[in-house]
Amino acid sequence: MSYSCTSRGNSQDPSSAKKPAGNNPGGETRGSGSTDSSSTSSNGTGGSPKQAAAMKVKKGCNSTDAGVPVTTEEELLANTVITPEDVLGLQKITENYLCGPDENVYNIDFTRFKIRDMETGTVLFEITKPPSTAGEKRDIDPNAGRFVRYQFTPAFLRLRQVGATVEFTVGDMPIDNFRMIERHYFREKLLKSFDFEFGFCMPSSKNTCEHIYEFPPLSEEIMREMILHPYETQSDSFYFVDNKLVMHNKADYSYSGGP
Amino acid sequence: MGLLTILKKMKHKEREMRLLMLGLDNAGKTTILKKFNGEDVSTISPTLGFNIKTLEHRGFKLNIWDVGGQKSLRSYWRNYFESTDGLVWVVDSADRLRMEDCRQELSALLLEERLAGATLLVFANKQDLPGALSKEAIQEVLALDEIKSHHWCIIGCSAVTGENLLAGVDWLLDDIAARIFTAD
Repeated sequence: MSYSCTSRGNSQDPSSAKKPAGNNPGGETRGSGSTDSSSTSSNGTGGSPKQAAAMKVKKGCNSTDAGVPVTTEEELLANTVITPEDVLGLQKITENYLCGPDENVYNIDFTRFKIRDMETGTVLFEITKPPSTAGEKRDIDPNAGRFVRYQFTPAFLRLRQVGATVEFTVGDMPIDNFRMIERHYFREKLLKSFDFEFGFCMPSSKNTCEHIYEFPPLSEEIMREMILHPYETQSDSFYFVDNKLVMHNKADYSYSGGP
Repeated sequence: MGLLTILKKMKHKEREMRLLMLGLDNAGKTTILKKFNGEDVSTISPTLGFNIKTLEHRGFKLNIWDVGGQKSLRSYWRNYFESTDGLVWVVDSADRLRMEDCRQELSALLLEERLAGATLLVFANKQDLPGALSKEAIQEVLALDEIKSHHWCIIGCSAVTGENLLAGVDWLLDDIAARIFTAD
């Protein structure tokens, strides 16, 4: 799921979402947003100082994180299994994917992302992707489809309430406990953390989930910085089956696009 | 303080409710969900899985689950019972031939232990269709008056026009809130 965190505001501009930028070597996206799902194999955030103490308890940026021990990407990369608590302890965007594409043994495939403005009902952004066919080798880059780049105008940061939809398909095995954790950062600041348990998913199913939410308030200064520094707003989406990380997707965001 | 009281207090803090929408295929569950949330309902395809919406309504955080109703999927419904506060049973009021099927599926659900604490809202959907049974007729066919185990209410509605959707959901929320948020 991909959208961005913004402040409440009093204006909205239905044209504020442009087609996202980015190349699309796999050629596997289509729909009203056309080609946006680009692939990357590296997604650096620029070096930042490592967390000094591994087990200190972070200050709760939001209620779900309060009391979770701090973790670092380096620690997690050394683990064979990564749990929801592990990623909830992360303090910044990861530089690497924390699991390989081959760990998606349940064949979970994200086939649509959509963002709409709830006040006007306008669909601001939509991309769809045909489901992958088993055995088809379309992507040379194994990370294709794991990264999306969004390009919005500054007006996007003024939206009040949005609905963000994801659609995903599941392979021929049922999933008992499917959970998503998504964390949005601007630089080192956690803007928003989503934690949602889908629970059971039927085999060979197609499912959708729309989160309708109000943007968290952001100061004028942060908004200005976010506009001035495209793609320094980033998100990690972690997906767990039975509390084990099986997928990791990334996105970054620009708000400096023209009207 | 008993466990139940603590659980009630925890839920109260977040004022979170889980609603589960079930019914035979083609009853209009997904259309109700979409219309209620202001989405286009001109092209709806059969649900082969679930559709979830999370939203805030009247200060409550709602998680609404719409699970596919095709016969082959009904055995999976049980996987979604846990923690359900409100069950929305959607009926195609014009589907007279399957009304008995509809009654049986509902009565089986009402025996489920994990749904024992849920309030039941029956949406007599498709009231805009000429052949639709009235909500009184459906109340009788589904033998709703015999239900003693659950709070229930039947409301005639149209997912296509949106008529009565809000009234139904608001009744459901009021009933749930009265049960679980006023424990002390």
